[in-house]
Amino acid sequence: MTVTQTAESQVSPGGAPAPRMRRSLNEIGLLAAIVVLYVALGSTAAGFLSVDNQLGMLRDAATVGIAAWGVTLVIISGEIDISIGPAVAFASVLVAKGAAEWGLGVGGAVLLTLAAGMAWGALAGWLRARFEVPSFIATLGIWSALGGLGLYLTDALPVVLPSSGLFDVLGGTVLGIPTPALVMIALFLVFAYVARYTGYGRSVYAIGGNAPAARMAGIDLAKVRVLLFATTGLLSAITGILLAARLGSGNGGAASGLEFDVIAAVVIGGTALAGGRGSMLGTLLGVVFITVISNGLVLLGVDSFLQNVVRGVIIVAAVLVNVLVTKRSRATRET
Amino acid sequence: MGATDASASTAAGPSTVAPDSAGAAAVAVVVDGVTKHYPGVQALTDAAMTIRSGEIRALLGRNGAGKSTLIRVLSGVERADAGTVDVAGERFGDGGVRRAAELGISTVHQELSLVPELSVAENMYLGRWPRKGGHVDFAGMRAGAAAVFGRLGLDIDPDAPVGSLSLAARQLVEIGRALREEPRLLILDEPTSALAAAEVDVVLDTVTRIAEAGVAVLYVSHRLEEIRRIAHSATVMRDGRVVETVDTAEADTAHIVSLMLGDATEAAERPALRTVDRDATPLLSVRGLSVPPKVLDVSFDVHAGEVLGIGGLMGSGRTEILRAIAGFAPAAAGTIAVDGRDLGRPSARAMKRLGVGMTPEDRKDEGVVPLLGVDENLVMSELDSVRTGPTIVPAKVRNAAQALIRRLSIATAEPRTPIVNLSGGNQQKAVIGRWLHAGSRILLLDEPTRGVDVQAKAELYRLVRELADGGVAVVFVSGELEELPLVCDRVLALREGRIVGELTGSEVTTDAVLTAAMAA
Repeated sequence: MTVTQTAESQVSPGGAPAPRMRRSLNEIGLLAAIVVLYVALGSTAAGFLSVDNQLGMLRDAATVGIAAWGVTLVIISGEIDISIGPAVAFASVLVAKGAAEWGLGVGGAVLLTLAAGMAWGALAGWLRARFEVPSFIATLGIWSALGGLGLYLTDALPVVLPSSGLFDVLGGTVLGIPTPALVMIALFLVFAYVARYTGYGRSVYAIGGNAPAARMAGIDLAKVRVLLFATTGLLSAITGILLAARLGSGNGGAASGLEFDVIAAVVIGGTALAGGRGSMLGTLLGVVFITVISNGLVLLGVDSFLQNVVRGVIIVAAVLVNVLVTKRSRATRET
Repeated sequence: MGATDASASTAAGPSTVAPDSAGAAAVAVVVDGVTKHYPGVQALTDAAMTIRSGEIRALLGRNGAGKSTLIRVLSGVERADAGTVDVAGERFGDGGVRRAAELGISTVHQELSLVPELSVAENMYLGRWPRKGGHVDFAGMRAGAAAVFGRLGLDIDPDAPVGSLSLAARQLVEIGRALREEPRLLILDEPTSALAAAEVDVVLDTVTRIAEAGVAVLYVSHRLEEIRRIAHSATVMRDGRVVETVDTAEADTAHIVSLMLGDATEAAERPALRTVDRDATPLLSVRGLSVPPKVLDVSFDVHAGEVLGIGGLMGSGRTEILRAIAGFAPAAAGTIAVDGRDLGRPSARAMKRLGVGMTPEDRKDEGVVPLLGVDENLVMSELDSVRTGPTIVPAKVRNAAQALIRRLSIATAEPRTPIVNLSGGNQQKAVIGRWLHAGSRILLLDEPTRGVDVQAKAELYRLVRELADGGVAVVFVSGELEELPLVCDRVLALREGRIVGELTGSEVTTDAVLTAAMAA
């Protein structure tokens, strides 16, 4: 039985800030936390504030950040992608093998890897779109298959990259800034634009917010879903190529656990796992947050196993705060 | 699954228990002077009725007449402000749901509350699974369920997962669950409204059997045909009061309808008749549309500038027709033509491109994207006009949204407010507005005023007529038959998947529509 609606004011109950401000609150809060971290670590961790360390952090951030842009869109749409780690590792193997052993030349190997990334991503997307295989399962399959394939192709040994100007640049710096960081920032700008200002981006939010309604409104769910995963596949490939360039070799066991760091960064940044909400800026701050904490723990000399414990606690705490703040200020209506 | 005795009651009229025969059946329920008030609404005033054991009493009334409130009071969900309820001589008092169960009142609600993955037997004992020696007594449950179905002459497998059963069978499981408690009063809230015609018989037979065993049944329904088949008597409610209780064998439809409507001050509410050019090629033509099992054979035309109403009770196939036309559900047979051109099996995309826009019945599930702003919800279906190249231009979105917000009088603080913050009526306006933005020429509105307050309803009616004045063809589907005369130029009455009547212009009155849709 329906309840008669009465008109109500547009300010959420309890005088909490209006929705746009609430989102900024989340990001401002993260920024504040990062500042606090900098102050704390700057005074307690030796070498934290050094230029070398800052550049190193930028490079580390890129490993998580590049894929995180794509995963942000995936999660906003209500899906998940857990294949990032092995995908990156496999990409590094592909580019190394392609350049060193299969005679494709450096350019050819890079192109092959990028194409492969799009292909395995599109496969996952197609499984979801066409057969409604849950994205968790589809990307879990990719996680397992690519992980195994990477190790199989290399016998778990590193495959050395041939020397090449391109790899030197990709693994090095441009104007003193690590190349991966530049790639990350460039991609950030692209994805921020796409998310906010393109039909595709808005469709992602619509699908995540209410997929049946998006379908009723004429949005092509299948196309968007395939594109979403093809994108994360491509980004994983890019990350793998950059990683290989930095290490000088392709490695089937690299980037272990990366998928969880990526998801953690996205969620800490304010993107809800349930979908429908999130922003690139939030993810950027989440990436920085995670990178700073990881770096700080290392510099503080915390035992590497304990580092994982601390990271786990901080990730849960960050999201908990986020959830509590959002719940209090969100206006929900029962119809 | 089927009834073990094969014939449905072909003779019109209920079973032989005649509760009026002197002292034959005991009084089961006495409701006296029950009054219930909600903030702003007087839901029940002085409601009174008496039901005997073995009697099937139908409860009739318009939406908002007070039926649900009365049922809630009887099942203990709500406490009356005044008045008394006695069951088999015992006073109900203030006890609530537990007291209702104690007294033997069982309710089967309109929305089934079964767990599809569990078996029939498990569902019948939901939450009260019997234990034997520390674990769940499956054998006992199975036997108990089988016993209930046996008494009813039904052939339902207690071990079957409920999800595998037809809707009718699930309805019977719900009824069986209510019966397990050996009730004195069984309340059924529209038990057949979601069922296709063919499935209704078994349910009606079952209800008859239940009454024959001595249970008093309160049967809420709009379907006069069924009511005449099984109910001995019918209580009509209007505006929170019990108007009259009639003998279903004697009362005629016109009388019942007039009891439901009272002295409708309809003349004052009716808007002026509109002229519609019906000589030109219809904008939309449907012939022989069939979407089993609900829609059997539907044909109609809609002309530019016309508001065509399709009125029917729940389960008559209204939504299925619209979804088939819009391309979201494939039709088994029939043709759809736009501008006179036959379209074969059109896809949703094709229909959208031809200018067909549909607002769904359930705007919460399928209409709005709650967290996005009103502006985004408005422009979602057509982005080209707010884009430059691939880029969506915020200024264009804002202008388009503001224009629509003004035109539709959508009450929102600003265009970017998340649409979930708006009232139901304003959300509905935005969903309609989405298709205005997309330039739809044919609007299919599925229950557009559901859950919308009175003022917004009036605004929606006015909006629809204005759109028609501008040349849009509107198909206005509603189960609230009373509203159709307020907005439609022509109304088709839909019953059990077929068009059973057509009313044009001044013929469109609440009486006529109600009669056609309910008629028996």
